[in-house]
Amino acid sequence: MTYSIIGRCARTGRLGLGITTFSLAVGGRCEGVAANIGVCKTQAFPNRTNDPLGIKLLAQGYLPARVMEMFAANDTEHGYRQVAIMNRDGKIAAHTGPGCRGWAGHKDDADCVAFGNGLLGPQVLDGMIEGFLARPDDALEYRLMRAIEGGRDAGGQGSADAHRPERSAAIKVVDRRDFPDVDVRVDVHPAAVAELRRVLEEFKLYEEFYRGRDTDPGKAIPQDVFAAQLKAKRASRTS
Amino acid sequence: MTFTLVARCPKSGQMGIGIATYSIGVGLYCNGLRANVGATMTQAFVNQGNNTLALRLLAQGFAPARVLDELAANDPDFAYRQIAVIDRDGRTVAYSGPKTRGWSGHKIGDGYVAMGNVLAGPKVVDAIAQAYEVHAGESFERRLLRAIESGRDAGGQVGNDGHLTERSAGIFVYGAYDHAELDLRVDLHDKAVDELRRAFEEYELYRGYYRDRGKNPRDAVPQDVFVSGLKQHQMAAQ
Repeated sequence: MTYSIIGRCARTGRLGLGITTFSLAVGGRCEGVAANIGVCKTQAFPNRTNDPLGIKLLAQGYLPARVMEMFAANDTEHGYRQVAIMNRDGKIAAHTGPGCRGWAGHKDDADCVAFGNGLLGPQVLDGMIEGFLARPDDALEYRLMRAIEGGRDAGGQGSADAHRPERSAAIKVVDRRDFPDVDVRVDVHPAAVAELRRVLEEFKLYEEFYRGRDTDPGKAIPQDVFAAQLKAKRASRTS
Repeated sequence: MTFTLVARCPKSGQMGIGIATYSIGVGLYCNGLRANVGATMTQAFVNQGNNTLALRLLAQGFAPARVLDELAANDPDFAYRQIAVIDRDGRTVAYSGPKTRGWSGHKIGDGYVAMGNVLAGPKVVDAIAQAYEVHAGESFERRLLRAIESGRDAGGQVGNDGHLTERSAGIFVYGAYDHAELDLRVDLHDKAVDELRRAFEEYELYRGYYRDRGKNPRDAVPQDVFVSGLKQHQMAAQ
Protein backbone atom coordinates (compact mmCIF):
# COMPACT_ATOMS: atom_id res chain seq x y z
CA MET A 1 0.00 0.00 0.00
CA THR A 2 1.46 3.25 -1.25
CA TYR A 3 0.38 6.28 -3.20
CA SER A 4 2.74 8.35 -5.27
CA ILE A 5 2.87 11.02 -7.90
CA ILE A 6 5.46 11.73 -10.53
CA GLY A 7 5.37 15.29 -11.81
CA ARG A 8 7.09 17.72 -14.10
CA CYS A 9 7.07 21.49 -14.08
CA ALA A 10 6.43 22.52 -17.67
CA ARG A 11 7.82 26.00 -17.01
CA THR A 12 11.19 24.97 -15.60
CA GLY A 13 11.63 21.36 -16.67
CA ARG A 14 12.12 20.33 -13.05
CA LEU A 15 11.14 16.74 -12.31
CA GLY A 16 9.98 15.20 -9.08
CA LEU A 17 8.40 12.45 -7.05
CA GLY A 18 6.05 12.63 -4.08
CA ILE A 19 5.32 9.44 -2.17
CA THR A 20 3.75 8.17 1.02
CA THR A 21 3.04 4.74 2.41
CA PHE A 22 2.45 2.50 5.40
CA SER A 23 5.97 1.08 4.98
CA LEU A 24 8.87 2.65 6.85
CA ALA A 25 11.51 4.88 5.23
CA VAL A 26 10.06 4.82 1.74
CA GLY A 27 12.23 7.78 0.72
CA GLY A 28 15.26 5.53 1.07
CA ARG A 29 13.97 3.47 -1.84
CA CYS A 30 13.51 6.27 -4.39
CA GLU A 31 16.66 6.30 -6.50
CA GLY A 32 14.91 6.92 -9.80
CA VAL A 33 14.81 10.71 -9.92
CA ALA A 34 17.47 12.05 -12.28
CA ALA A 35 17.97 15.63 -13.45
CA ASN A 36 17.44 16.17 -17.16
CA ILE A 37 16.70 12.46 -17.66
CA GLY A 38 13.47 11.45 -15.98
CA VAL A 39 11.73 9.76 -13.11
CA CYS A 40 11.13 6.06 -12.58
CA LYS A 41 9.43 4.57 -9.55
CA THR A 42 8.60 0.91 -8.89
CA GLN A 43 6.35 0.11 -5.93
CA ALA A 44 3.83 -2.45 -4.59
CA PHE A 45 6.21 -5.45 -4.54
CA PRO A 46 9.17 -3.42 -5.74
CA ASN A 47 11.98 -4.72 -7.87
CA ARG A 48 14.77 -2.54 -6.47
CA THR A 49 16.90 -2.88 -9.58
CA ASN A 50 14.17 -1.43 -11.84
CA ASP A 51 14.61 2.24 -11.00
CA PRO A 52 18.39 2.53 -11.55
CA LEU A 53 17.98 0.46 -14.73
CA GLY A 54 15.10 2.64 -15.91
CA ILE A 55 17.15 5.82 -15.46
CA LYS A 56 20.03 4.32 -17.45
CA LEU A 57 17.69 3.33 -20.26
CA LEU A 58 16.03 6.76 -20.35
CA ALA A 59 19.49 8.35 -20.43
CA GLN A 60 20.31 6.23 -23.47
CA GLY A 61 17.32 7.70 -25.23
CA TYR A 62 14.64 5.05 -24.78
CA LEU A 63 11.08 6.25 -24.39
CA PRO A 64 9.16 5.43 -21.20
CA ALA A 65 6.90 3.00 -23.07
CA ARG A 66 9.89 1.04 -24.32
CA VAL A 67 11.54 1.06 -20.90
CA MET A 68 8.36 -0.48 -19.50
CA GLU A 69 8.46 -3.25 -22.10
CA MET A 70 12.06 -3.94 -21.15
CA PHE A 71 11.09 -4.13 -17.49
CA ALA A 72 8.42 -6.68 -18.38
CA ALA A 73 10.91 -8.75 -20.35
CA ASN A 74 13.53 -8.55 -17.59
CA ASP A 75 11.41 -9.57 -14.59
CA THR A 76 9.49 -12.79 -14.04
CA GLU A 77 7.44 -11.02 -11.35
CA HIS A 78 6.49 -7.95 -13.39
CA GLY A 79 2.84 -8.74 -12.65
CA TYR A 80 3.44 -7.84 -8.99
CA ARG A 81 5.00 -4.46 -9.70
CA GLN A 82 3.47 -1.05 -10.00
CA VAL A 83 5.66 1.25 -12.09
CA ALA A 84 5.45 4.80 -13.40
CA ILE A 85 8.01 6.37 -15.71
CA MET A 86 8.27 9.90 -17.05
CA ASN A 87 10.99 11.31 -19.24
CA ARG A 88 12.20 14.90 -19.35
CA ASP A 89 9.70 15.76 -22.09
CA GLY A 90 6.82 14.63 -19.89
CA LYS A 91 6.15 11.41 -21.80
CA ILE A 92 4.64 8.80 -19.50
CA ALA A 93 4.29 5.05 -19.10
CA ALA A 94 2.52 3.36 -16.20
CA HIS A 95 1.84 -0.22 -15.19
CA THR A 96 -0.24 -1.68 -12.39
CA GLY A 97 0.37 -5.43 -12.28
CA PRO A 98 -2.60 -7.71 -11.61
CA GLY A 99 -0.72 -9.08 -8.57
CA CYS A 100 -0.84 -5.72 -6.72
CA ARG A 101 -3.06 -5.99 -3.66
CA GLY A 102 -6.14 -4.06 -2.64
CA TRP A 103 -7.50 -1.37 -4.92
CA ALA A 104 -4.65 -0.47 -7.26
CA GLY A 105 -4.38 1.77 -10.29
CA HIS A 106 -2.82 4.73 -12.02
CA LYS A 107 -4.08 7.88 -13.66
CA ASP A 108 -2.33 10.59 -15.61
CA ASP A 109 -3.10 14.22 -16.35
CA ALA A 110 -1.13 17.28 -17.42
CA ASP A 111 2.54 16.72 -16.46
CA CYS A 112 1.76 14.09 -13.85
CA VAL A 113 0.90 10.48 -13.18
CA ALA A 114 -0.62 9.35 -9.87
CA PHE A 115 -0.41 5.68 -8.92
CA GLY A 116 -1.10 3.61 -5.87
CA ASN A 117 -2.10 0.28 -4.41
CA GLY A 118 -3.84 -0.89 -1.25
CA LEU A 119 -5.98 2.25 -1.56
CA LEU A 120 -9.50 3.10 -0.51
CA GLY A 121 -10.38 3.52 -4.20
CA PRO A 122 -9.90 5.58 -7.37
CA GLN A 123 -10.92 8.72 -5.49
CA VAL A 124 -7.44 8.72 -3.92
CA LEU A 125 -5.81 9.16 -7.32
CA ASP A 126 -8.41 11.81 -8.20
CA GLY A 127 -7.56 13.67 -4.99
CA MET A 128 -3.86 13.55 -5.81
CA ILE A 129 -4.30 14.88 -9.31
CA GLU A 130 -6.64 17.59 -8.12
CA GLY A 131 -4.00 18.62 -5.58
CA PHE A 132 -1.27 18.63 -8.20
CA LEU A 133 -3.26 20.71 -10.67
CA ALA A 134 -4.66 23.17 -8.11
CA ARG A 135 -1.84 25.70 -8.33
CA PRO A 136 0.16 25.13 -11.50
CA ASP A 137 2.35 28.18 -10.93
CA ASP A 138 3.69 26.94 -7.59
CA ALA A 139 7.11 25.35 -7.27
CA LEU A 140 6.98 21.64 -8.10
CA GLU A 141 7.72 20.55 -4.51
CA TYR A 142 4.56 22.33 -3.32
CA ARG A 143 2.48 20.81 -6.10
CA LEU A 144 3.73 17.33 -5.16
CA MET A 145 3.05 18.06 -1.49
CA ARG A 146 -0.49 19.18 -2.26
CA ALA A 147 -0.99 16.05 -4.34
CA ILE A 148 -0.01 13.77 -1.46
CA GLU A 149 -2.24 15.70 0.90
CA GLY A 150 -5.05 15.40 -1.65
CA GLY A 151 -4.59 11.62 -1.69
CA ARG A 152 -4.58 11.44 2.09
CA ASP A 153 -7.70 13.61 2.36
CA ALA A 154 -9.48 11.41 -0.18
CA GLY A 155 -9.04 8.42 2.13
CA GLY A 156 -5.52 7.18 1.44
CA GLN A 157 -4.71 3.55 2.16
CA GLY A 158 -6.75 0.63 3.40
CA SER A 159 -10.40 -0.20 3.06
CA ALA A 160 -13.62 1.36 4.35
CA ASP A 161 -13.34 -0.63 7.60
CA ALA A 162 -9.56 -0.67 8.01
CA HIS A 163 -7.71 2.58 7.27
CA ARG A 164 -3.91 2.34 7.15
CA PRO A 165 -1.95 5.37 8.31
CA GLU A 166 0.92 6.91 6.36
CA ARG A 167 4.08 6.04 8.30
CA SER A 168 6.66 7.45 5.89
CA ALA A 169 6.70 10.02 3.11
CA ALA A 170 9.11 11.88 0.86
CA ILE A 171 9.44 14.50 -1.83
CA LYS A 172 12.36 14.67 -4.21
CA VAL A 173 12.80 17.34 -6.89
CA VAL A 174 15.66 17.68 -9.37
CA ASP A 175 16.50 20.59 -11.61
CA ARG A 176 19.54 20.66 -13.87
CA ARG A 177 22.27 19.70 -11.44
CA ASP A 178 23.06 16.08 -10.65
CA PHE A 179 21.97 16.36 -7.03
CA PRO A 180 18.44 17.12 -5.88
CA ASP A 181 17.11 20.61 -5.30
CA VAL A 182 14.68 19.38 -2.69
CA ASP A 183 14.85 16.06 -0.87
CA VAL A 184 12.73 15.95 2.28
CA ARG A 185 11.82 12.84 4.21
CA VAL A 186 9.83 11.45 7.07
CA ASP A 187 10.86 7.86 7.77
CA VAL A 188 8.97 6.68 10.87
CA HIS A 189 5.98 8.72 12.02
CA PRO A 190 2.30 8.04 12.84
CA ALA A 191 1.10 10.93 10.61
CA ALA A 192 3.86 11.13 8.04
CA VAL A 193 2.12 13.39 5.52
CA ALA A 194 1.41 16.15 8.05
CA GLU A 195 4.97 15.79 9.32
CA LEU A 196 6.34 16.02 5.77
CA ARG A 197 4.49 19.31 5.29
CA ARG A 198 6.14 20.59 8.48
CA VAL A 199 9.61 19.49 7.31
CA LEU A 200 9.10 20.98 3.84
CA GLU A 201 7.96 24.36 5.17
CA GLU A 202 10.90 24.50 7.57
CA PHE A 203 13.35 23.44 4.86
CA LYS A 204 12.09 26.14 2.51
CA LEU A 205 13.01 28.78 5.09
CA TYR A 206 16.61 27.54 5.01
CA GLU A 207 16.90 26.63 1.34
CA GLU A 208 18.48 29.86 0.10
CA PHE A 209 20.72 30.11 3.15
CA TYR A 210 22.05 26.61 2.50
CA ARG A 211 22.60 27.34 -1.18
CA GLY A 212 24.45 30.55 -0.40
CA ARG A 213 26.74 28.74 2.01
CA ASP A 214 27.75 26.53 -0.91
CA THR A 215 28.16 29.14 -3.62
CA ASP A 216 29.47 32.06 -1.57
CA PRO A 217 30.74 30.76 1.80
CA GLY A 218 32.71 33.93 2.51
CA LYS A 219 29.46 35.80 3.02
CA ALA A 220 27.59 33.13 4.99
CA ILE A 221 26.56 33.97 8.53
CA PRO A 222 26.72 31.16 11.13
CA GLN A 223 23.61 29.00 11.10
CA ASP A 224 22.74 29.60 14.74
CA VAL A 225 22.68 33.33 13.95
CA PHE A 226 20.46 32.67 10.93
CA ALA A 227 18.15 30.49 13.07
CA ALA A 228 17.91 33.24 15.69
CA GLN A 229 16.94 35.76 12.98
CA LEU A 230 14.23 33.39 11.74
CA LYS A 231 12.91 33.03 15.26
CA ALA A 232 12.82 36.80 15.76
CA LYS A 233 10.94 37.22 12.45
CA ARG A 234 8.39 34.64 13.54
CA ALA A 235 7.93 36.30 16.93
CA SER A 236 7.36 39.72 15.35
CA ARG A 237 4.81 38.20 12.97
CA THR A 238 2.78 36.54 15.73
CA SER A 239 2.86 39.48 18.14
CA MET B 1 28.47 22.27 12.31
CA THR B 2 28.22 18.60 11.59
CA PHE B 3 29.83 15.36 12.71
CA THR B 4 30.27 12.43 10.47
CA LEU B 5 31.79 9.03 9.99
CA VAL B 6 32.60 8.01 6.43
CA ALA B 7 33.77 4.42 6.17
CA ARG B 8 34.37 1.36 4.09
CA CYS B 9 33.55 -1.87 5.91
CA PRO B 10 36.69 -4.01 5.74
CA LYS B 11 34.62 -7.21 6.07
CA SER B 12 31.91 -6.61 3.48
CA GLY B 13 33.36 -3.85 1.29
CA GLN B 14 30.18 -1.84 1.92
CA MET B 15 30.43 1.94 1.83
CA GLY B 16 28.73 3.94 4.53
CA ILE B 17 28.06 7.29 6.11
CA GLY B 18 26.70 8.15 9.53
CA ILE B 19 26.01 11.83 10.06
CA ALA B 20 24.32 14.30 12.39
CA THR B 21 24.05 18.07 12.28
CA TYR B 22 22.22 21.18 13.33
CA SER B 23 21.13 21.75 9.72
CA ILE B 24 17.80 20.47 8.47
CA GLY B 25 17.57 17.51 6.13
CA VAL B 26 21.28 16.70 5.97
CA GLY B 27 20.50 13.54 4.00
CA LEU B 28 20.05 15.74 0.94
CA TYR B 29 23.83 16.16 0.85
CA CYS B 30 24.79 12.51 1.41
CA ASN B 31 24.96 11.39 -2.21
CA GLY B 32 28.61 10.32 -2.10
CA LEU B 33 28.28 6.55 -1.88
CA ARG B 34 28.57 4.15 -4.77
CA ALA B 35 28.89 0.39 -4.67
CA ASN B 36 32.34 -0.86 -5.59
CA VAL B 37 33.57 2.69 -6.23
CA GLY B 38 33.93 4.60 -3.01
CA ALA B 39 32.60 6.87 -0.32
CA THR B 40 32.91 10.64 -0.14
CA MET B 41 31.36 13.50 1.74
CA THR B 42 31.80 17.27 1.56
CA GLN B 43 30.45 19.24 4.51
CA ALA B 44 30.91 22.50 6.45
CA PHE B 45 30.20 24.97 3.62
CA VAL B 46 29.04 22.24 1.27
CA ASN B 47 30.03 22.26 -2.37
CA GLN B 48 27.19 20.15 -3.68
CA GLY B 49 28.96 19.33 -6.89
CA ASN B 50 31.87 17.69 -5.06
CA ASN B 51 30.35 14.32 -4.16
CA THR B 52 29.18 13.42 -7.64
CA LEU B 53 32.43 14.66 -9.19
CA ALA B 54 34.57 12.76 -6.69
CA LEU B 55 32.66 9.52 -7.32
CA ARG B 56 33.13 9.87 -11.07
CA LEU B 57 36.85 10.49 -10.61
CA LEU B 58 37.16 7.44 -8.35
CA ALA B 59 35.22 5.36 -10.89
CA GLN B 60 37.69 6.48 -13.57
CA GLY B 61 40.50 5.12 -11.46
CA PHE B 62 41.93 8.15 -9.70
CA ALA B 63 43.31 7.57 -6.20
CA PRO B 64 41.65 9.41 -3.30
CA ALA B 65 44.62 11.76 -2.80
CA ARG B 66 44.45 12.79 -6.45
CA VAL B 67 40.67 13.21 -6.27
CA LEU B 68 41.12 15.61 -3.36
CA ASP B 69 43.68 17.58 -5.39
CA GLU B 70 41.16 17.84 -8.21
CA LEU B 71 38.43 19.08 -5.86
CA ALA B 72 40.88 21.72 -4.63
CA ALA B 73 41.82 22.81 -8.15
CA ASN B 74 38.16 23.05 -9.14
CA ASP B 75 36.87 25.20 -6.28
CA PRO B 76 37.80 28.83 -5.47
CA ASP B 77 36.21 28.35 -2.02
CA PHE B 78 37.96 25.08 -1.24
CA ALA B 79 39.21 26.47 2.10
CA TYR B 80 35.60 26.43 3.35
CA ARG B 81 35.04 22.74 2.74
CA GLN B 82 35.52 19.67 4.91
CA ILE B 83 35.98 16.52 2.83
CA ALA B 84 36.54 12.78 3.16
CA VAL B 85 37.33 10.46 0.24
CA ILE B 86 37.70 6.67 0.49
CA ASP B 87 38.10 4.26 -2.39
CA ARG B 88 37.09 0.63 -2.69
CA ASP B 89 40.47 -0.51 -1.42
CA GLY B 90 39.99 1.53 1.74
CA ARG B 91 42.54 4.18 0.81
CA THR B 92 41.52 7.26 2.71
CA VAL B 93 42.14 11.01 2.64
CA ALA B 94 40.50 13.90 4.45
CA TYR B 95 40.67 17.67 4.51
CA SER B 96 39.38 20.26 6.97
CA GLY B 97 39.65 23.67 5.33
CA PRO B 98 41.12 26.53 7.41
CA LYS B 99 37.94 28.56 6.91
CA THR B 100 35.58 25.95 8.35
CA ARG B 101 34.22 27.34 11.60
CA GLY B 102 34.58 26.53 15.29
CA TRP B 103 36.65 23.55 16.31
CA SER B 104 37.04 21.67 13.07
CA GLY B 105 39.05 18.59 12.30
CA HIS B 106 39.19 14.98 11.29
CA LYS B 107 40.72 11.71 12.30
CA ILE B 108 41.74 9.11 9.74
CA GLY B 109 41.71 5.42 10.63
CA ASP B 110 41.81 2.15 8.75
CA GLY B 111 39.29 2.76 5.95
CA TYR B 112 37.42 5.49 7.74
CA VAL B 113 37.32 9.20 8.51
CA ALA B 114 35.71 10.77 11.56
CA MET B 115 35.25 14.48 10.92
CA GLY B 116 33.33 17.50 12.03
CA ASN B 117 33.18 21.24 12.48
CA VAL B 118 31.75 23.65 15.05
CA LEU B 119 32.35 20.86 17.57
CA ALA B 120 32.98 20.74 21.30
CA GLY B 121 36.57 19.77 20.46
CA PRO B 122 38.79 16.96 19.23
CA LYS B 123 37.17 14.64 21.76
CA VAL B 124 34.12 14.45 19.47
CA VAL B 125 35.97 13.01 16.48
CA ASP B 126 38.05 10.83 18.84
CA ALA B 127 34.85 9.41 20.34
CA ILE B 128 33.38 8.77 16.88
CA ALA B 129 36.50 6.89 15.77
CA GLN B 130 36.78 4.95 19.00
CA ALA B 131 33.15 3.81 18.99
CA TYR B 132 33.46 2.67 15.39
CA GLU B 133 36.53 0.61 16.25
CA VAL B 134 35.32 -0.77 19.58
CA HIS B 135 32.11 -2.15 18.07
CA ALA B 136 33.90 -4.01 15.27
CA GLY B 137 31.85 -7.12 16.06
CA GLU B 138 28.53 -5.48 15.19
CA SER B 139 26.98 -4.95 11.77
CA PHE B 140 28.39 -2.10 9.70
CA GLU B 141 25.25 0.02 10.05
CA ARG B 142 25.18 -0.46 13.82
CA ARG B 143 28.82 0.65 13.98
CA LEU B 144 27.95 3.81 12.04
CA LEU B 145 25.10 4.52 14.44
CA ARG B 146 27.26 3.85 17.50
CA ALA B 147 29.85 6.25 16.15
CA ILE B 148 27.35 9.06 15.76
CA GLU B 149 25.86 8.43 19.19
CA SER B 150 29.34 8.66 20.69
CA GLY B 151 29.95 11.95 18.91
CA ARG B 152 26.76 13.26 20.46
CA ASP B 153 27.73 11.96 23.91
CA ALA B 154 31.17 13.56 23.67
CA GLY B 155 29.58 16.99 23.38
CA GLY B 156 28.64 17.18 19.72
CA GLN B 157 28.31 20.67 18.28
CA VAL B 158 28.98 23.94 20.09
CA GLY B 159 28.00 27.27 18.52
CA ASN B 160 28.24 30.88 19.69
CA ASP B 161 25.74 30.35 22.49
CA GLY B 162 26.76 26.90 23.63
CA HIS B 163 25.66 23.42 22.69
CA LEU B 164 23.73 23.00 19.44
CA THR B 165 21.34 20.13 19.20
CA GLU B 166 21.32 17.66 16.31
CA ARG B 167 18.29 18.55 14.17
CA SER B 168 18.89 16.04 11.39
CA ALA B 169 20.78 12.78 11.02
CA GLY B 170 21.13 9.79 8.74
CA ILE B 171 22.76 6.42 8.05
CA PHE B 172 23.52 5.33 4.51
CA VAL B 173 25.00 2.04 3.34
CA TYR B 174 25.70 0.87 -0.20
CA GLY B 175 26.74 -2.70 -0.94
CA ALA B 176 26.75 -4.50 -4.24
CA TYR B 177 23.80 -2.73 -5.87
CA ASP B 178 23.06 0.57 -7.58
CA HIS B 179 20.48 1.24 -4.91
CA ALA B 180 21.07 1.81 -1.21
CA GLU B 181 21.06 -1.12 1.19
CA LEU B 182 20.16 1.26 3.95
CA ASP B 183 19.08 4.87 3.63
CA LEU B 184 17.48 6.06 6.81
CA ARG B 185 16.97 9.68 7.80
CA VAL B 186 15.64 12.06 10.37
CA ASP B 187 15.20 15.45 8.70
CA LEU B 188 13.80 17.70 11.43
CA HIS B 189 13.76 16.77 15.11
CA ASP B 190 14.88 18.22 18.46
CA LYS B 191 17.01 15.16 19.15
CA ALA B 192 17.73 13.73 15.77
CA VAL B 193 20.32 11.15 16.87
CA ASP B 194 17.97 9.66 19.48
CA GLU B 195 15.22 9.64 16.89
CA LEU B 196 17.53 8.00 14.35
CA ARG B 197 18.21 5.18 16.80
CA ARG B 198 14.47 4.72 17.32
CA ALA B 199 13.82 4.73 13.56
CA PHE B 200 16.70 2.33 12.97
CA GLU B 201 15.52 -0.23 15.51
CA GLU B 202 12.00 -0.07 14.09
CA TYR B 203 13.21 -0.30 10.50
CA GLU B 204 15.48 -3.23 11.33
CA LEU B 205 12.37 -5.28 12.12
CA TYR B 206 11.10 -4.71 8.57
CA ARG B 207 14.24 -4.77 6.44
CA GLY B 208 14.22 -8.46 5.61
CA TYR B 209 10.49 -8.38 4.98
CA TYR B 210 10.80 -5.45 2.56
CA ARG B 211 13.65 -7.10 0.70
CA ASP B 212 11.95 -10.48 0.33
CA ARG B 213 8.62 -8.93 -0.64
CA GLY B 214 10.21 -7.44 -3.73
CA LYS B 215 12.26 -10.50 -4.64
CA ASN B 216 9.55 -13.05 -4.07
CA PRO B 217 6.16 -11.30 -4.16
CA ARG B 218 4.16 -14.50 -4.56
CA ASP B 219 5.01 -15.61 -1.03
CA ALA B 220 4.79 -12.21 0.66
CA VAL B 221 2.26 -11.85 3.46
CA PRO B 222 0.37 -8.53 3.53
CA GLN B 223 2.20 -5.93 5.58
CA ASP B 224 -0.58 -5.54 8.13
CA VAL B 225 -0.37 -9.31 8.76
CA PHE B 226 3.39 -8.94 9.16
CA VAL B 227 2.85 -6.06 11.60
CA SER B 228 0.41 -8.03 13.75
CA GLY B 229 2.90 -10.89 13.77
CA LEU B 230 5.57 -8.46 14.99
CA LYS B 231 3.28 -7.18 17.73
CA GLN B 232 2.49 -10.67 18.95
CA HIS B 233 6.16 -11.53 18.90
CA GLN B 234 6.99 -8.38 20.91
CA MET B 235 4.26 -9.11 23.47
CA ALA B 236 5.45 -12.69 23.85
CA ALA B 237 9.00 -11.46 24.40
CA GLN B 238 7.94 -9.19 27.25
